[in-house]
Amino acid sequence: MVENILNAVAAGLIIGCLYGLMCIGLGLIFGIMKIVNFAQGELLMLGMYISFYVVAGFAAIGVLGPYVAPFVGALVAGPVLFGGGALLHRFLLTHVSGLSTAARLDQGGFGQLIVTLGVSLILQNGGLIVFGSTPESVRTPLSAKAFIIGPFGGDTMLFLNQARIFACVVAIVIAVALWLVMERTRLGKSLRAAADNPVAATYMGIDVERAYRIAFGLGAAITAVAGGLMATYLSFTPFVGLDYVIIMYSGVVLGGMGSILGAFWGGLLVGFVQQVSALVLSPQLQNAAIFVVFLLIVGLRPEGLFGRSAERA
Amino acid sequence: MLEVRSLSVAYGGLRALQGVSLNVAAGQFVTVVGPNGAGKTTLFKTICGIVLPADGRVEWEGSSLFAKPAAARAHLGIAHIPEGRQVFRTLTVRENLEMGAYPEAGRAQWVHTLERIHTLFPILAERAEQLAGTLSGGEQQMLAIGRGLASAPRLLMLDEPSMGLAPAVAETIFERIAQIHKEDGLAILLVEQRVAEALELSDYGYVLETGRVVLEGPYQSLLADDRVRRSYLGLGDENE
Ligand SMILES: Nc1ncnc2c1ncn2[C@@H]1O[C@H](COP(=O)(O)OP(=O)(O)OP(=O)(O)O)[C@@H](O)[C@H]1O
Ligand SMILES: [Mg+2]
Repeated sequence: MVENILNAVAAGLIIGCLYGLMCIGLGLIFGIMKIVNFAQGELLMLGMYISFYVVAGFAAIGVLGPYVAPFVGALVAGPVLFGGGALLHRFLLTHVSGLSTAARLDQGGFGQLIVTLGVSLILQNGGLIVFGSTPESVRTPLSAKAFIIGPFGGDTMLFLNQARIFACVVAIVIAVALWLVMERTRLGKSLRAAADNPVAATYMGIDVERAYRIAFGLGAAITAVAGGLMATYLSFTPFVGLDYVIIMYSGVVLGGMGSILGAFWGGLLVGFVQQVSALVLSPQLQNAAIFVVFLLIVGLRPEGLFGRSAERA
Repeated sequence: MLEVRSLSVAYGGLRALQGVSLNVAAGQFVTVVGPNGAGKTTLFKTICGIVLPADGRVEWEGSSLFAKPAAARAHLGIAHIPEGRQVFRTLTVRENLEMGAYPEAGRAQWVHTLERIHTLFPILAERAEQLAGTLSGGEQQMLAIGRGLASAPRLLMLDEPSMGLAPAVAETIFERIAQIHKEDGLAILLVEQRVAEALELSDYGYVLETGRVVLEGPYQSLLADDRVRRSYLGLGDENE
């Protein structure tokens, strides 16, 4: 029993880190830029398939070896989806976000809803045609190996899946890097300024359309990389995004809108609750457990764990 | 330096500006006054490329501004301190100033201008890490002006900096604007409802009513004008 709890906690933290990274992507797009993106789950799905095809299709395993290839595959999804996300914003979302909607009452919210819902459907069904409906996964020898810690006490042992551990480390590194970019660099600050007040940002000389494009591309890339990393330990179909889009939104809102760190902690918490609740709840109820925690936290702290209020008391 | 030539702007059918012309020379202090809805903010937004004109030209140092994207203004040395302050509420005071210094010139002189801004508005140094949205109205106005200065501009455009401020705070703001003009030699284009204070500071003034310039001249002549005295200064006719 103790062993089960210990292993569930460990799995919760590790998977939580990957969820954290996934949430950071949406945290940029929804939390900071305030774009309601229904297609975020499909960006995750694309990250998984890109990783899959890099590893399997391009024989990356042959060149890089079975240990490194899956992680390279996941990282390749980044630049590809950055480009894809930027283009998506350039040709579709410009009309429903940023400067062009700054004066509208809903800031383009309704337009975004419809546009991204459409993109989401197209990607799901396009994925079905292109990738097929057979579940796939990125196999690495690490998936079947575990670091074994213990036994401590009696015969309690902790099994840490190696694929997940490495994915988790990569996720943390990327999350910290992105946080530094957003908090410390001129680029990151200009993205936040453009999202905060597009008109004033224009007065500062910031190219607001470009800022939105970059932020959307970055958000797409981060979620896609998270997808690529997650692909090393689960199997997926073109509809996998549906399972995760709600998790992402709860993570971002839980962590606090507008906070990159918050999105990470929110995602971590959601992953943790999901894994640990598996100890006592049937799998169908795990997402219900997430929402109970969600409602509790949002009820107690409406601004989320890390949200700061920019309004005067 | 800045030349506005017979500018007309319409929102749908409503004509907000009709044939407005205006000049600001290097180092000059120019004030535009006029009642609510006269088109003052529209004039500023059009100069800054946020609103598109129906007709007319705006030239900056001899070349047309309309050919350039709105964001180019800051890089050319024009700082716009908009109506209602428009600080970045979710950014800290320091980050707001850093965003002001986004253009090349601002970055090059950052250390110097930051010191200058802190001398003019010491409160901004004290509140450096506070979110701008939580500042008081007066502090936000100071931040907005500081943010404009951070770009190391040659022209500072201010749209009703005294709006909604207590008289004492408004007084301080006017003093600082005068100081910036005198000590830094910046050209100023000021829109104000507090006509007496504003005209007193300026070299030249324009009176805008329902989208037209109805009167212009050096400040002494405006202050002496009967219409200005009656409508804007609340004074009676001189010969009454
Ligand atoms: N976006 C808009 N759409 C339609 N009409 C507008 C818009 N913005 C301004 N107007 C109208 O244009 C006219 C001029 O407005 P403007 O904001 O330029 O006035 P102002 O002189 O700045 O007034 P105030 O002193 O109250 O700030 C007003 O009649 C206003 O109702
Ligand atoms: Mg106005």
